[in-house]
Amino acid sequence: MKTKSTINCMHFLRGIALATTFTVLFGGSTGAQNDSKPLLVCGVAKTQEQEPVKEKSEATIGLSYFKKADGSKIAVALIKAKNEQRKFAPAKNARVGFYAGQGKEQKLLQSLTTDMKGEATLTLSNNLPLEEDHSFTIVARIENDPLYQDAEEKIHLKDVDLKLLLNSDDTARRATVFVTETDKDGKPVPVKGVELKFYVQRMFGTMPGGDGYTLSTNEKGEASFSYPKKLAGDATGLITVVVKMEDNDQFGNAVAETPVKWGTVLAVDKNPFPRALWEPSAPMPLVLTICILFGGVWSIYAYIFVQLRKIKTEKINA
Amino acid sequence: MQEDNKKENKNDRRDFLKKGLLGGSVLAAGAIGLNRVFAGEKVKVVSPDGKVYEASADNLKEFHPKPVTNDEARKGIAGKKFVMVIDESKCDGCKKCTEACQAMHFTESDREWMKVFTMKDSDATAPYFFPKPCFHCDNPPCTKVCPVNATFKRQDGIVLIDNERCIGCRMCMAACPYSTRFFNWSHPDPKQTAAIGDAPYSPESSYPRRMGTVEKCDFCPDMLRQGKMPACVSSCPMDAIYFGDQNEDAVTNASGVTVKLGQLLEDNAGYRHMEELGTEPRVYYLPPKNRKYPIPDVKNAEKGKKSKKMPGMDNGAMQM
Amino acid sequence: MTNDNFDLKKEIAILEEDCLRPTRTFGRSTQIWVGALLVVIGWGLYCFIHQLSHGLGVTAMRDYVSWGLYISTFVFFIGISHSGTLVSAILRITKQEWRRPITRSAELLTFVSLCFGGIQPIIDLGRPDRIANLVIFGRLQSPLIWDIISICTYFAGSTVFLFLPMIPDMALCRDRLTVVDSRFKRFKKWLYTFMAIGWTGTKSQWHRLEKTMNIMTIVIIPVAVSVHTVVSYIFAMTLRPGWDSTVFGPYFVAGALYSGSACVILGMAAFRKLYHLEKYITPRHFDLIGRVVLALTLIYAYLNLNEYWIPAYKMATAEGHLLSDLFYGSYSKVFWTCQFGTVLLPILIMSFPKGRKIGPLVVTCIIIAAGAWVKRYLIVVPTLLHPFMPIQEVPAAWSSYFPNYVEFSVTAACLAGIFLVITLFSKIFPMMAVWEVAEGIELDHDKKVAIEIREERVITDETELARIATLKNGQVTPTASLNETL
Repeated sequence: MKTKSTINCMHFLRGIALATTFTVLFGGSTGAQNDSKPLLVCGVAKTQEQEPVKEKSEATIGLSYFKKADGSKIAVALIKAKNEQRKFAPAKNARVGFYAGQGKEQKLLQSLTTDMKGEATLTLSNNLPLEEDHSFTIVARIENDPLYQDAEEKIHLKDVDLKLLLNSDDTARRATVFVTETDKDGKPVPVKGVELKFYVQRMFGTMPGGDGYTLSTNEKGEASFSYPKKLAGDATGLITVVVKMEDNDQFGNAVAETPVKWGTVLAVDKNPFPRALWEPSAPMPLVLTICILFGGVWSIYAYIFVQLRKIKTEKINA
Repeated sequence: MQEDNKKENKNDRRDFLKKGLLGGSVLAAGAIGLNRVFAGEKVKVVSPDGKVYEASADNLKEFHPKPVTNDEARKGIAGKKFVMVIDESKCDGCKKCTEACQAMHFTESDREWMKVFTMKDSDATAPYFFPKPCFHCDNPPCTKVCPVNATFKRQDGIVLIDNERCIGCRMCMAACPYSTRFFNWSHPDPKQTAAIGDAPYSPESSYPRRMGTVEKCDFCPDMLRQGKMPACVSSCPMDAIYFGDQNEDAVTNASGVTVKLGQLLEDNAGYRHMEELGTEPRVYYLPPKNRKYPIPDVKNAEKGKKSKKMPGMDNGAMQM
Repeated sequence: MTNDNFDLKKEIAILEEDCLRPTRTFGRSTQIWVGALLVVIGWGLYCFIHQLSHGLGVTAMRDYVSWGLYISTFVFFIGISHSGTLVSAILRITKQEWRRPITRSAELLTFVSLCFGGIQPIIDLGRPDRIANLVIFGRLQSPLIWDIISICTYFAGSTVFLFLPMIPDMALCRDRLTVVDSRFKRFKKWLYTFMAIGWTGTKSQWHRLEKTMNIMTIVIIPVAVSVHTVVSYIFAMTLRPGWDSTVFGPYFVAGALYSGSACVILGMAAFRKLYHLEKYITPRHFDLIGRVVLALTLIYAYLNLNEYWIPAYKMATAEGHLLSDLFYGSYSKVFWTCQFGTVLLPILIMSFPKGRKIGPLVVTCIIIAAGAWVKRYLIVVPTLLHPFMPIQEVPAAWSSYFPNYVEFSVTAACLAGIFLVITLFSKIFPMMAVWEVAEGIELDHDKKVAIEIREERVITDETELARIATLKNGQVTPTASLNETL
């Protein structure tokens, strides 16, 4: 199933950062942009060269759904197309149409273009058309693209809720997650047998919390994991616990996270720039040595200069 | 009015990046992957304050992120100690890292800040690929000898060059035992200059380059400020390069797999290149054990040489 | 007694005339020579401007060999500048009477080669326009800053050291030259008056001059040693094979003295011939300074042994590659020519009295000077071509080095600059310290008269007083007998 594309959480993080670097100037320059103009993305300009493509290349779509910790939802389409080596590679500049609903009720959400990584990311609104069992369908489609053949990918998922509770008991450091879905009556129902992964947030990704970090929920929709004692925290010992449901057949991807002071406290250098040979300011012994040696020589020069002045003035005395 | 708006946006964006990305927390804003824009078309854009606007593509301007101040660039990111781990058992010598680096920094093709060597330590031992960035040493021979503090060590461990201060004495090039530094011998390539456009100079981006000054691998600190990994790391198709914060004891590779740094080095007998020099590199290597690619052909590396063979370098070409 | 006195005065008058004569003429041959030098300098200047506008890329230097001929020349010129200190200061301290006619040219050589050596790193800079950064952002940790400090200190010191013994001569020029027809009469008059700083030759003036001279003689030696030690630190403070050596400081100092003293001999021979100073600079001088050069060459050879034999015995990986390239690789011909032809051969030649005759000695010194220059190149370049990391897949220009026309032209212009400054100096100022040589003649000619003259001055030196006392008693001291041969 292509629905289970292995797009990692990192990908949409990148996408976010990319988009945030654009500035919109309303009513700004009206000069039309042509395709070959370098577009600067996060300080990296990339000239978009359009390779001459004789035939439309065969394309595939991988569609993933993410529910983030704050409840916002996104859909990411990864387009891969056959390249000259006849291998599937991420396809940039592909037009992807995102649709919601099934059959005749299908409605166009938005049409987007893939980025350098072949990804198109859509932020989903909260009033997504839901079916009776609170499930929804998203379809990504390539239609009449000048570069790529038509393709379609559909996901049918249900909304899920992850609730993360942290045991503040210092010895246990247990993180417990309750997974619930909404039933027909709109009541939360625990979900059993959902695979969850327990991570710690790091600068560039989420690190497994420790051995056996993958757990499944029990009948109560509950799974809990004990975090190890030695986890590097920040200057206050803070770490962010992240629990993820990854590529679930029923629910897609979902994340829950909470910061907690479970980490070891980072010892911050009081003076990150001490006097050292490789730092801007020199070690005192070096400064003193140079000053004494060359100061001594120059003071002798000064003495000699005084003597020369005296030779000059003594002419008059003589 | 328009100018004010622009200024405000930039400031906001900076704060946003600082708060949102440096903390390493998951972002709250939505995102739109945007690469190709059609004239007259309406596109959705996320503004610096996280709001989504619909704007005409005509009004969408290229935006150079405002670099941090020179002072800020010299201090570095507080609380971080960046570290790289390169797994020789995974590197198949494809040089995607080199290409990504060159695209990222608009370097000319002969400048390989991230260079993939084919190493063979002795006759009997097997050859292996050895990608080499700047080691960003903790006892850096280069910053020691700089007469004008143009190359400097930051608190996050990164060694950078201020091309607007460098006097071009090339003492740092002589001092670096790893041949990491390059010199801008002539005027920069006009093509690259055009590609860079009107981007402001920053030691963190290392461009626009200045003739008569030294340049080298910078660990992409402008990317790091945005919470993103250096170009070479995220472009490695073999997941051979890990990057992270030593203070967090975690490194991440191109696939986003984040592992414990200490564990990774312990399990794979990690080492640093030429430890005996005492330069304390911030780049670790994992030995080419159980390699995931065929043994590199040393002769191929020779063939690929753009240079004539050095006389008197019979064995030297593959020396340590 | 009076007759003797008359002879002495006549002799000193002849000496003064001999010394001042070149300063009054500017003959056709001098004009051609200066013109030729100016052409070389002009071309070099053009090349330098070309280099400034197009970057150092116009030279043959590339990323591996990032230092080339300029830095080699820098080391060589700074080395030459040690000559003045050696001949002048060391011979003064050891009270070698034969130093008198040669100190001026030696000190001048120091001054000039230091000027042109000092600008080499500036020529080599990628951004000479940012030179003020050295002052604004200077870091005391950098060997280059040590270099600047010690070269400036040495430059100031050697200028003073050159100037001090010139003061009485300037007074002499001021008093004599203005009454004789001369070109640039007004300028010269002003210059001599300015430089004589009101010298009238009073007792206290002589006293102060001797005192300052004694101080400078002592101070200048450690300063000179510091300069070349620090120059070696530019290389020795790195981890590079071939440079990472603890013997580099003394090795460079010895190399500097060896090449510098050879250049002093060349200067002596040139002035002797051109300005007809055969009477004052005699074959005996050449024999004596030849012995000095021999001794220095032996020291240099000894340090060469240390520098190469110790690592060659061990053949550590990276150093081994460098050494095999030097010993039997691409640099072997130049290397062994340097070691045998310009170190061991000069030792052999100068060991024999016949080898220290003017002709052979001058040839030997030319070989030494050229060899020392090439040796600097051999220290700088091969090391850069043997880094720890292998040189792989780089443009062909990066993996080899030979200076191109720009570097040769600029370097030739600097060499021409040295010749030009020396020529012009010798056309304005006497090339021998007149009063010092006169003092020597006085001492030699008639000890008793000399005593009278010297007694007029205040002599602080106890041994000198003792010696004069013995002379007064009519006894001949060993030192005095040695002077008789002069």
